[in-house]
Order: sequence, then structure tokens, then C-alpha cells
Amino acid sequence: MASETSEAVSSTPDLKLQFAPFSSALEAGFWHQLTQKKLNDYRLDESPKCIKGYYYNGDPLGLPTRLTLEFSAFEVDGPTPARCCPATGTLYNTNTLDAFKTTDKKALLEKEAKEIWDAIHSEAALKDPSILCKFILLTFADLKKYHFYYWFCFPALCFPEGIKLVQQPSALEQVFSAKQIAALQEAYDGMCIKRETTAVPYFLMKYTDDTVQMVPLEDWDMFFTDTKKVTVGVYDPCTLSQHPGWPLRNLLVLLAYRWGSKLDTVEVLCFRDRTLQGSRSIQHSVIFQIKLPALPLNSACPKSVGWEKNPKGAMGPRMVNLSECMDPKRLAESSVDLNLKLMRWRLVPSLDLDKVVSTKCLLLGAGTLGCNVARTLMGWGVRRITFVDNAKISFSNPVRQPLYEFEDCLGGGKSKALAAVERLTKIFPGVNAEGYNMSIPMPGHPVNFSEATLSQAQRDIEQLEKLISEHDVVFLLMDTRESRWLPTVIAASKRKLVVNAALGFDTFVVMRHGLKTPAVSPSVPAGADSSTSCSSASSSSSTPAGSVPAVQGSSLFSNIPGHKLGCYFCNDVVAPGDSTRDRTLDQQCTVSRPGLAMIAGALAVEMMVSILQHSEGGYAVASSSDDRMNEPPTSLGLVPHQIRGFLSRFDNVLPASLAFDKCTACSPIVLDHYEREGFNFLSNVFNSSHSFLEDLTGLTLLHQETQAAEIWDMSDDESI
Amino acid sequence: MMHEMSMCGLDEKNFYCCCQLLLQQSEQLRDGWSWEAVQGSEEGYLKKTALRSVVIDSSSVWDHEGCGSDSEPHTSCHSQPDQPDEEEEQAAAVASGDTDSIKGDIDDEDEDDGVCAVSEGSSQMLQYEYHILLSCSYSTPVLYFRAFTLEGRSLSLEEVWSSVHPNFRLRLQNSPLNTITLQEHPLLGQPFFMLHPCRTEEFMRPVLQAAQDQHRPVNYVLSWLSVVGPVVGLDVPLQYSTQLHPAPPPSSGKPD
Ligand SMILES: [Zn+2]
Repeated sequence: MASETSEAVSSTPDLKLQFAPFSSALEAGFWHQLTQKKLNDYRLDESPKCIKGYYYNGDPLGLPTRLTLEFSAFEVDGPTPARCCPATGTLYNTNTLDAFKTTDKKALLEKEAKEIWDAIHSEAALKDPSILCKFILLTFADLKKYHFYYWFCFPALCFPEGIKLVQQPSALEQVFSAKQIAALQEAYDGMCIKRETTAVPYFLMKYTDDTVQMVPLEDWDMFFTDTKKVTVGVYDPCTLSQHPGWPLRNLLVLLAYRWGSKLDTVEVLCFRDRTLQGSRSIQHSVIFQIKLPALPLNSACPKSVGWEKNPKGAMGPRMVNLSECMDPKRLAESSVDLNLKLMRWRLVPSLDLDKVVSTKCLLLGAGTLGCNVARTLMGWGVRRITFVDNAKISFSNPVRQPLYEFEDCLGGGKSKALAAVERLTKIFPGVNAEGYNMSIPMPGHPVNFSEATLSQAQRDIEQLEKLISEHDVVFLLMDTRESRWLPTVIAASKRKLVVNAALGFDTFVVMRHGLKTPAVSPSVPAGADSSTSCSSASSSSSTPAGSVPAVQGSSLFSNIPGHKLGCYFCNDVVAPGDSTRDRTLDQQCTVSRPGLAMIAGALAVEMMVSILQHSEGGYAVASSSDDRMNEPPTSLGLVPHQIRGFLSRFDNVLPASLAFDKCTACSPIVLDHYEREGFNFLSNVFNSSHSFLEDLTGLTLLHQETQAAEIWDMSDDESI
Repeated sequence: MMHEMSMCGLDEKNFYCCCQLLLQQSEQLRDGWSWEAVQGSEEGYLKKTALRSVVIDSSSVWDHEGCGSDSEPHTSCHSQPDQPDEEEEQAAAVASGDTDSIKGDIDDEDEDDGVCAVSEGSSQMLQYEYHILLSCSYSTPVLYFRAFTLEGRSLSLEEVWSSVHPNFRLRLQNSPLNTITLQEHPLLGQPFFMLHPCRTEEFMRPVLQAAQDQHRPVNYVLSWLSVVGPVVGLDVPLQYSTQLHPAPPPSSGKPD
């Protein structure tokens, strides 16, 4: 420990007195207050300001000798904490880093040292010995980055030849009897009461075998009628047993200057007064016998020292980066993170938050569903949110779409995708949101009117493909069925998790699309190549180890693994684009019960989070309503395929359904055509009637054979 | 006032009364509590600061303890998409280069042989600040706290806990006060951690009931503090309860 090494140093025969320097200690509130002062009072004023710190003589052993500045440092006349000694300081707050660098530190120190010296010359330091314990604080506050540069100086005047000790320092208890110690404590407390204070920085004392007398420094001439034996007390913040703290240093200069000619040695009591677990002790105070060096009469101000070393032990300033605790944006982020972590710590210890927070979400549609999905994602701490929408905000939107305001509707209305990003950033600056004001081409909505419309469609598709590639989860939140077709195809081809939400009047469906097994390269037989394949234990959702558990003997709708689950179009026996027949869901959102979008939007996000918590992610076996009583597959519970909600009954069911091999969006033949022919295939779909896809997939044939029937007849297309 | 409330709730008057008694005892025990009045208002709070030397484990993985599936470093929660880490590092490098380059004209300082060598060691000093406020909405005391380095940089909750108690999370989870949030101090407007008072009444009720049954005076704030303090490293000396002290007037006996 520090005290041991220094004991070894001072046990050399030389017995030189060495002081423990102050360590600056700043409370967090100090920087907050300095920031307020700089912004509201100082502004560009660089003139020196008076501030105040304090030091304490009651620390447990081993703590550094500190000079503390708290937020009240700027109220020079304010109270000092009980039993602490105040120290006044001069603050130089520069406007630029350059000014901070180029400030003449030596001159600042010399100026302060001169003031102390002058106070010693005059009677001022006798009357108010706290002048002996001053400090300088040089600062530069970079309030853009919340970086604070600072350098403390505790000016001390030096004797040219140093200071010698007459003998080894002793603990008070080695020199004083218990009775004397009690008398000393009583005398100190009495002096404090008399002076209406709780700490006295410097004092004089006389003692006998059973009495101790104490007076302030200024009473010297009356108190010490002869100078055979002089004892001086100093309130000592140091805890080292062999060294005094800094406040003694300038006092010795004062003693040498005023009484040096009469005094050869002086006894110094370094008064330390601590209370541990309610019991007070002063017996660890230290007594030094000091040979008072001579100061040449009428000499100029002695050499001074005092700039504080930085943590590296070098002579230099310090810098503290407070962006984490002062930048409101960072504060918002850590508060959001903390709240989420609390959920984990308290309720779901195995929750993998990072997986959720780091998920990149693409929201296709920034209407009622999109707004609600985005807000719930933010609640989960998701940082990357991208909107795609081509609509403008209209007057009916703000009451149902919580990211928009009345003002957003004026002047034709802002683009939803862009306004949503703006609002998300306002709600939480830590979000990384992007918006794309673009349309998604739809089956049965021709794009071949002109060269321009064709190339526009081509660009839109490329952009959409790029966006889907760059994100982890695609949310389908549009208000038309047809517009879901293209992203369903692209996401299925790219093996991206799709979460789909659609609303009826008082019904909704929230579902995850089946996640196709990764396309196996034909040259590598599955499982045969052992040299290049990864180890078998991969459980990451993005790279399932090629094998998805085969389900044998299961009933049609239970235990369907994720790769066999259907998509939004699998239950349809008609291709999208036929706007006359299939409009059970996906009506204009404005005709659904207003609470529905919030419910469905929230469920869509919660479903995503549950999927992410499953070790197999999108390949997880679909939970069904029957699993409600079983051991849940994730820490958050079930991972269903679909949630179908019926607001009229306030009821949800969890159906699961298989992928349909004639599906117009996710069947192998559609994906194969898309992957081989790309835009040519897609533009055929857009430009043709719905029979194109029905012919391709074999639905046309199916129609001829069976009566079309929907499994989920949720709501008919009522007139609006 | 309802009987229920007078038994378990703490109104402003009683809060100040309890605080005054606690201050008196703290003064006797020199425990360091002080009353901080807010300028220009009647409001105020109890404050105590403490300094501790702690061994800082910079690679603290506290956040991931007991979470078997977590093997990745916990970076993404703190990632800054707008501010790449690289940029931050550069800024830091520039900054430390800045401070290194500002040695200026203080070169003769090394000649000062009046300074004793102080070894810093591997430990770090942390300052802790505890505030007790009254929550008017819950009618209970609330504990605000923060910890910071000697430079005045506040620590994150993980840093605080890894520095105070290795088994801190366990203690917190098993305690009735397991809700800590980052909040703006209602009187100072600076960020503090707060032990949320939502369950204070729940664990204080039996304490107060027992005291009432035994016709024993009880200082609400002190009893509460002895429960919540240790959770955040704030020890309440036993002497508070053994010390003879005047009892606060039992709130249930008040005429209103
Ligand atoms: Zn399908």
C-alpha cells in the first residue's frame, strides 16, 4: 500500500518532511453545474471566477488526500459540509481548447503564490488562515462532445533547502495519554463551538499532563509568551502515517516568516478525526517535530509548485468524457436499454436481448399497422427500422396512425415513409431509421404503359430486393392484398423471415411465413461433404445446419416445422390481383375497429420477438392453441404460425397451416421462375390477369376440379 | 386522512420529522447525512456521500452472469449506428493526445522534493452519492443514487454493481426493491438511479404494523433505509437502532 512504501522512503536517515499532495475529486454534479454556468452566466466570459472546494480529515486509512468540488462549488458563500474545511479557488474557464493549452500555467501559479505570500506578509493569513489553502482550476468545456478538460493547481510555497524532521513522526497515541487525548478532543470541540463552526483548519495548542488549551492562529502573541515549545495544529486531510497533507505546507512558510527568527523547532499536530461505525477516534493523528528552515528576510516570493499530475503520473491536464451521462441522446439510450435489461433480470433471465435489439426490420407499409409495429419495435429496443410506403399523410390518418400529426397533412401531406422516420428520431434519437417513398408493383396492375413506367418498376423491384437482402425481418403491413405478393416472393427466395399482419373490420391475422430450407447447391450432396461443412451444432436461426427435423406421423396441422408452414397466399385458391373476389382482409384500414391495428401491430412484433428467442428461429415448429398447456418452446412462450383474432369475441386462435404446393407466391414453381427469369417473369405477372399465375401454378386446373372454399372465412366484403 | 394511509403512508410533515430525527442521530454517530435545501423552496432532501476504493474489473461481464445462452459480448445494446466506434476511438485518441501535449511550461515541477510518492495501485476510488427524497405520489421515501469517479464521470449501473457487490444482482433479485431506473433527479435535474418506490409500501407495512402492535416508536425513513440501503452498498450502522433517541410522534395518534 501507499503508506508502506512511503514509510520505507522516509526511514532514511535524512528525515526530510514530504507532503501528500491533494488529489482533485469532482462530484458528478460539478460538471453539470459548470455546464449550466457556462451556458447561462459565463457564456464567452473568460475572466477568473471564485469557486469553493473542501477537504476532510476523517477518511479511513488508504484513501487519497482529496480536495472535493461539488455542484455547490459555485456558491462561494454557501455552507461547507459539516466537519470539512473550505478551500477557495479561482476558476479559469477558457472558451477554446487552444486557449486552455496556451494559458500560461506558470504565470497563474505565480500569481496565486504571490497572493499567498502577500497574505503572509500582511496580517491577512493570520486572521484568515484558509488563504493558505487555495487552488486554481483551469477548465475547457467542450459542450458539443461533453468533453471536459481540466487541470488543478494547489499552490505551495517552497523552502529552497526543503524541510527537515527532528525525529520520526509519531502517532498521537504514542505521545499522549488517553487522558490527554480526551482533553485534546474536548478542547478542539470547544474551540469549534466557540467559533460556531465544525472544523478549524489551523490552531495553536498548549498541553500539560491532563489539560489541553487551544486557540486560533491569530492569538499567537498572547498565547505563546515564551517560544521554548510551540505546538501548532493543522486539520489534516492526509491518512498516511508518515506524511502530512498539503495544508501544512504553506503554514510552515507562514511560521518561518513570522517566527522563524525566534523558533528553531516547531511541534505540529496533524489533527485527524474519524468516526467508524459510530465510534470516534483522534488517536491516529500524527505529531511531527519539525526543524523550521530559515527564510531570508525581505526575500521575494519563494518558488512555488502545485500543478496536479494526471493519472499517468505525468505533469499534464485531465480530460473526462461525460457524453454518457450528459448527452441527452445517450441518456435516452441507456435508459431504454436499462428498462429492457430489467425485464430480463427480473422476469426472463434467459431472454436474449441482443438478438432482438440487433434485428434489422423492414416495414412495408407505414400506415396504421406500420406506425404501431414501429412503436412496439422501439419498445423492444430495436434500432434499425426501415419504412417503405408511397402514400402521403391525409387528414384522416393522424388519429389512427400514431406517428403523424395534423401538421403533417397540410400542403398535400408529407410522405408517410419520410415523416415516420422523422417522428421515430424525435421519439428516440438512438434509432437508426430510414424511409423510402416508393411503390411496390402488384400483380394485375400493369407496369408496361411506357418505357418510363417499365424502368421505374424495374428500379423499384431492385430497390425492394436490396432492402429485403439488407434486413433480417420483413413486415408486411400494407393495406392491399396484391401489394404483399412481390415481397412475399422475394423474401421467400432470399430466406428472410416474414411477419405479416392484415386487418378486417373486427378480425385480423398475424402470421409468419414458412421459411424455406436453404437452397442446397446441387454440387454438394447434403451431409456428404465433411471437409467443408461447419460443425453440426449450429443453432443460429440464419444458418440452420441444413437439416430441419423431419416430421413423421404427425397430423396435418400439428407440429408443422417452420420450413413447411404456409405463406399468406397459401390458403388462396385465386391469384392476387383479382380485386372482386377476395377481400376478406386487407380492406382500407379506416374501416377496421380502431383498436385493431394496435392489437395486431403489437402482436406482430411480439411474434417476431418470440421467434427470435427460439433456437431455430423461423424454422421453429409452429405452436398451436393446443400447446397452450404444454412446456413453452421459448422463454417467452409459444411460437405460433398464425394468430387470428376476433375482436367481437375478444378471442384469438393459433392455427397452423402447411405450405400449398400450388401457392401463387411461395410454391417452388413460382420461386423457380422468379429466380431464373427475374424481372421478365415479374413484369409478366404484373401485366397479365390473375389467370397467369393460376395457370402457372395449376390453380386453374384445381378450380375446375373443386369448388373453391376458404378455410378461414372471416368476414365478407361488406359495403363501406 | 384514512386510517390505512396514516399507518403506511408518509406525508410531507412526517417525512421532514423523520428526516430531522435521522439527522440528529447521524450527527451523534457522525454518519454523514446532511439536509440539502433547494434554493428558493421549502423542499429538500437528505444527502450522504461516501468514498470507496474498489478494484475495477474493466472486463466486467456482470451483465451476462447467469445467462447461459449469452456468449456474445454485450455490445449491440450500446452500439452507436450513427457514431461508429472507430470515430469514437479516434476522438479519444485525439483527446488524450491533446492532454498529453499540454505540458506547457511546468517542467521544473519534478524538482519538488517536498512531495511524497503516492502509489495509485490497481484500485480505483469511487464516490457514491445517496439522496433520500419523498415521493408524493407513493407517500414513501425514495432513494436516488449515483456513483462516479474522482473525475466526476458517473458510472453505468453495471459498473456500479460490479464495483459494489459481486453478488449484487442476486441480492437485488431477491429483494423487494428490484426495480432500478435511470431518472432525472426531481430537484436537481441530473440523471440518477432510483429505486422505484412501487413496492415500498408492501415491505414497510409489516414493519410498521409490528411496531404499532408493540407500541414501539418507529422512524419510517430509518426503518426503510435499513432495508433499501444495503442493496446499493449503503450501510446503516446498527447504532441507529440501539441508540437512545426520541421517538417521532406516532402518526396514527394524530388528531386529524
Ligand atoms: Zn404460400
